[in-house]
Amino acid sequence: MIKHLVFAVLALGLWSGAALAEGPVTIGYLGLQDDPRYHPDIVYTRIEIAPGGNPVDGATMGIDDLKVVSDAVGQTVSLDHQEAADATSLTAKVQAMVTAGEHFIILDLPADLVEQVATATKDLPVTLINATAPEDRLRSLCLPNLLHTAASDRMNADAMVQYLRTRNWTKVLMLVGPLERDKAMADAFRASADRQRLNVVDTRTFTLATDPANRESNNSQLITGNADYDVVYVADNQGEFSRYLPYDTQLPRLVIGSTGLAASEWQWSWDRDGSTQVTVRFEELTKGRRMTGQDWATWIAAKSIVTAYAKARSDDYAKIAEYIRSSRLRMDGSKGVQLNFRPWDGQMRMPIVLATHNAVIAEAPLDGFLHETNTLDTLGTDEPEQQCL
Amino acid sequence: MKRLAILAAVAFATAISVLPAWAAGTGMIFVSTEKGNEVVVLDQDHNIVKRIETSRRPRDMHFNADKSLLYVACGDDDVIDVIDVATLEVVDHIPTGPSPEVFAFSPDEKQILVSNEEDSRLEVIDMESRLSVQDIPTGAEPEGVIVSKDGKTAYVTSEVADMVHVVDTATGAVTKNILVGTRPRRFILTPDGSELWVSCELSSEIYIIDTATNEIKGDSLIFVPPGFREEDVTPVGLAITKDGSKVLLSLGRANHVAIIDAKSHDVLQYVLVGKRAWSVDLSSDETKAYVANGLSDDITIIDMASMKPEISIPIGRVPHSVVIDD
Repeated sequence: MIKHLVFAVLALGLWSGAALAEGPVTIGYLGLQDDPRYHPDIVYTRIEIAPGGNPVDGATMGIDDLKVVSDAVGQTVSLDHQEAADATSLTAKVQAMVTAGEHFIILDLPADLVEQVATATKDLPVTLINATAPEDRLRSLCLPNLLHTAASDRMNADAMVQYLRTRNWTKVLMLVGPLERDKAMADAFRASADRQRLNVVDTRTFTLATDPANRESNNSQLITGNADYDVVYVADNQGEFSRYLPYDTQLPRLVIGSTGLAASEWQWSWDRDGSTQVTVRFEELTKGRRMTGQDWATWIAAKSIVTAYAKARSDDYAKIAEYIRSSRLRMDGSKGVQLNFRPWDGQMRMPIVLATHNAVIAEAPLDGFLHETNTLDTLGTDEPEQQCL
Repeated sequence: MKRLAILAAVAFATAISVLPAWAAGTGMIFVSTEKGNEVVVLDQDHNIVKRIETSRRPRDMHFNADKSLLYVACGDDDVIDVIDVATLEVVDHIPTGPSPEVFAFSPDEKQILVSNEEDSRLEVIDMESRLSVQDIPTGAEPEGVIVSKDGKTAYVTSEVADMVHVVDTATGAVTKNILVGTRPRRFILTPDGSELWVSCELSSEIYIIDTATNEIKGDSLIFVPPGFREEDVTPVGLAITKDGSKVLLSLGRANHVAIIDAKSHDVLQYVLVGKRAWSVDLSSDETKAYVANGLSDDITIIDMASMKPEISIPIGRVPHSVVIDD
């Protein structure tokens, strides 16, 4: 079919008189050089078992998605993507960005670097949005300049525990890996399991080896033996142990956590709430990459910043920063409900998907988990529990 | 079973031809099912007469003026299917851009204006030549489309940009962008054409736009049934009575339809329907309203006199829209 394209010009001047914030807007994006989190998983045969990809793609798409909004208020939004190798140089990057007039920076960094960079720059006129570090510790820093669009470990754990409680699978065997990340994830799960009165029958540490002297901790069948449980929860951020765990447990039970059923901000197979369009747009942008939870978190971070610039009706950083933190921000993350940031810890409240490798099995909060003000706050640290470090 | 259905359809068609009282229409109910890839046809007694196989992901539906043809936007095959209402067969396909969702006719029915969800365009298709004569860029995920009675102005929502684009149909130019609530979905125009109502799914609001100035009129409206919270309300479908007195609004995840006084904006009744109430339509005599319930795979029929749900009827996978041939 021949298409006669008529290129329409989108009219400017939306809020005549009120649109003070016209002009260029640059959003910072700070990543870690050669971030190991995004290496393609490679087994020794050099076959990739998970394609790598940089979540900066999500931020790029977020800006592009809202271009028509920025255009309407006379703003031209661009992304300043920078990388550095350590805390000192990352902090210097933030300072340079702020000097250049960038007041919102998306951080795509591991937790320890988020903490160091955010602490070092807490007095600067800048809002940092942590998009990829799930550690709850960062939410307890109570830094006024730090927001989070990555779901916290506790949010993911609460989602999973709500599901186990709903199914009445209450006896859990916990397997925990050697990494700090594994321990953080497991700690959040344990706290959540306690709140919902699940029975953690045992917690065992696995190791990656075939060393016969340590069979009890490196053999799937032995490490899952001598206990009675409904499910096995495994915290394994490296992924090499958990990959071989399903179908190899001593009892015929399901595996959840880092494999099997996993909790995340996003999964590509979710097909409600307009999520299909988001996944398809992302695949087109990235030539076929499937959107991950990290991509979703940088996407919603960029969208939140662009929205705040467009809707705060001011070019004063303080006003825009106030807007993004207020309940007036009602973001659409294609998860069926409006999203905004919790005032007590700067965490974006959001539904969590519980998914296998190719299907979303449940979306939390699950039916029946109620809250006095907002059911999304059944996921993660609630206001009365909040403690600042 | 299939033969029975065909027999019923034949009997029905015969009945239509002998009963002059039905001359205005068959009274049949048409429901598109997004995941069933079919338009389900029910008779006045709510018996399923036929499941018409369509292109994939049928969504919005409209009759032509004399109701001889039913047009169905099929999102996964990039076509609008055309169903012959007399024979209940798909007789034609009109190609569109990627992922057509909602569409409207120009008043003279010479053009179809369709929102193409995946390439962010409002496409204008000439009905005779089947050519795309205008392709108007919108914000991402355009959805609701409506054309003013004089045909001069089209309105389209962008779900991602939180905007209503005002389009001059003569030039295809966007003449104004009106920023509304989060994820704007569908429209109605009041019968006098003075007000455009827009449902904003994720901010739970209804915006009313004054079509004379294309400015937002007053505060946004929020309708929360008893026992629900504002964030549980995700309004989508809209319908209005011919006298412009009552508006029906489906509340999505709140599983209710609000019947609203169009002048005072007071809620006359919240009607409990199925899960994720979506599109809503009225019969021509306005005695019944029909609601597609996307997540309980059924439709609910509301009696407008008592403003109570009358019956819910199982339909198929993910009902999207309901229209009535009467």
